[in-house]
Amino acid sequence: MAETTYWTGSEKYLCDTSLAQAFHMARVLGMPLLIEGEPGTGKTELPIHYSNSLGLDLHVYPVGSKSTVDQFVAKFDHVKYLRDSQIEILNAQREEKGLDSRLSTGGRNPEVLADYVAKGPAALAYSSPNSVLLIDEIDKAPREFPNDLLYALSHRKFIMPESGEVVEISEEDMPAIVITSNREQELPTAFKGRCIYHYIDFPDKDILSKIIEKHHPDIADEVVNVAMDVFYHLRKLGLERAPTTREILNWLKYIKQSASKEAIEKIERLEGLGALIKTQPDMDKVQRLLRVDPNNFSGPSLN
Amino acid sequence: MLSSLPASFREYGLSADVRTLLLLRKVIDRGLVKTLGDMYTVLRGIVVKEPADLGPYTKAYYRYFLDIAIQNGDSLEDAILRSETFEKWKTQFLDEADKDTNYTQEELINTFLDQVHLTHYDIKEVINGKEIFDKEDPDLKDKEAEGEYDMTEREARKLEKMADYSDLSLEELLERLEKIKEQQKSRHEGGSHWIGTGGISPFGHGGAAKNGVRIGGTGGGKMARKVIGDRNYYPVDRDAIINDNNVDAALASIKGVIEESATENLDIPVTIQSGLKRGGLFLPEMRSDKSEKLQIIVLIDNGGYSMSPFVKTVQELFRKMKTRFAHDLEVFYFHNTVYDVVYKDARRTKPFEVKRLLKYDKHYRVFFIGDASMAPYELDSESIQSLQSIVKKFKKTVWLNPEPLKYWSFTYTIQVVQQIMEMFPLTPNGIERAVQHMNKKSVV
Repeated sequence: MAETTYWTGSEKYLCDTSLAQAFHMARVLGMPLLIEGEPGTGKTELPIHYSNSLGLDLHVYPVGSKSTVDQFVAKFDHVKYLRDSQIEILNAQREEKGLDSRLSTGGRNPEVLADYVAKGPAALAYSSPNSVLLIDEIDKAPREFPNDLLYALSHRKFIMPESGEVVEISEEDMPAIVITSNREQELPTAFKGRCIYHYIDFPDKDILSKIIEKHHPDIADEVVNVAMDVFYHLRKLGLERAPTTREILNWLKYIKQSASKEAIEKIERLEGLGALIKTQPDMDKVQRLLRVDPNNFSGPSLN
Repeated sequence: MLSSLPASFREYGLSADVRTLLLLRKVIDRGLVKTLGDMYTVLRGIVVKEPADLGPYTKAYYRYFLDIAIQNGDSLEDAILRSETFEKWKTQFLDEADKDTNYTQEELINTFLDQVHLTHYDIKEVINGKEIFDKEDPDLKDKEAEGEYDMTEREARKLEKMADYSDLSLEELLERLEKIKEQQKSRHEGGSHWIGTGGISPFGHGGAAKNGVRIGGTGGGKMARKVIGDRNYYPVDRDAIINDNNVDAALASIKGVIEESATENLDIPVTIQSGLKRGGLFLPEMRSDKSEKLQIIVLIDNGGYSMSPFVKTVQELFRKMKTRFAHDLEVFYFHNTVYDVVYKDARRTKPFEVKRLLKYDKHYRVFFIGDASMAPYELDSESIQSLQSIVKKFKKTVWLNPEPLKYWSFTYTIQVVQQIMEMFPLTPNGIERAVQHMNKKSVV
């Protein structure tokens, strides 16, 4: 039976209720879950923590600008095939000449085409029941990739190139498929139609403090509160690249090296701002704004 | 079942059709829809395809299932307070609620939202929570004896009812769904019975739970509230002249001008190298080459009052383009129309001859951006010739015009320019069509 229990997160990962519900629905229906949201809100983390906490196999396909469906499903290794078949000839020649040392084909047999099929994450996920398949950052793909993928995903079956081997999976054993996107490219409507869609909303203070607690249970509440005030304030400035969950977690990692009182001072002095602000124009803007209005943080201003 | 749903949701600009219904039926079949709150969650996963759908979706949902119309500019609270559904619900709720408690309007709305967005996950949590609570509280008996623990019989019944209710069969559920639809048709009966005594929600009475039995549902209600007032959850007006709000949509449309190609090529050096290492056994080594080409010339009319509101946004648009794709992007300026020179700077002090412009690679794509409105004598034969020579050289040339489309036919010079090259409105939609037009002609 497919893994369709309702999963609400693990020790390290707080799964927002609506995300948990969407994920559950996708698994019950055997459809891929398409997650979008600001970078650094834990899109990729979901399948990783899910598979970890339930002990399921995870297959990851990081999408890049050169991704093809071949890499995703399976590729026939022509080079190895050519090599091995030439080795066969060489070996025959050597035998004729009376040499007994043979060149090895590494256990592959050129007669068996399946030996030369390199299975990609999709084929692997489909051959192990109840695994987890993560297709990361699909928006980085070439434009035709999502549509090719669509075909692959809508049939619960892949046909391996050249060998013709069929990798098939029943609806019950369907892997949980999670696709993430940063919205750098609009995905085709037909593609979205085949997925359950979820947009990760930026966490509010309550949820963020819970997330922080999961990652840094050792930081005092006052410190977290002060840091979150600063953080949400920065987000409101309308920066080009507003800091997200990932940034505040990194920042706190730096901050927590000092004792509570010192840490609060550090936060108020905006030390380690580089962990939060990622572009030069943003940095200029923050420094400019904070100088003009030093009371923004109810503490001593920058410098 | 719910056959009017797709049409009703399409009115809000959402894509819903018979497939939506089929999928919904499948979801119900699998037991994922037990409450109205489930319906909200499930349909959201199916219907919403981008954040900008969330606003319209929430509106469509409230309209269809609760008969609550959320007008533009309304907050969710306003719309709820105005609705008949809420009035009915309130009467019923107050009837059965604790007489001693005085509910503020805010509490009422919160409770209402809690009930609307209650999901079966929440119910499970409550039931589980109750079990755990009972087990883990050894003082329970004492408390009960002291009367501190006021888990009333009614609440116990409520929990029981919840448990029952999670076993609701598909047929029953569909029947109830049908019922609300009928009730909505005959307005006098008012709101829906999803909520209330006879309804689908087990929380029809009694108000907020007590003693640590948490009523969930805050999630959905909170989300709905947030979504309604936030511009980010609505589609940008793709037919509005480009402005700061829809500049990103415009950017997305204009990205189509990037030519992308990938080819598998034989990597000869590597093949030879590795072949020599193997002692003359040459095996083909492949390499995939991808090229992304973006060659654009932008000519902006920045003279005169009529253009000034748009110049900044247009520059912003192309600046964003340039930061994301470091490729050939040339920006020139002109006033009203092009004669023999264009200018390299916005103040038009550094002239650049059109003759030199024509030496650029013919694969450049050219965007003219201007209102093309001027005195007829300004668009003289010299200017027309310049424009024509540009169009002749660069096959992919379009004019983007911020002037509203409906005025185009009244301006003589616009019509003349239109005969020289294709003209599109300077809106995200217009840009998209312009790019499509360019790509169509891309037979080189």
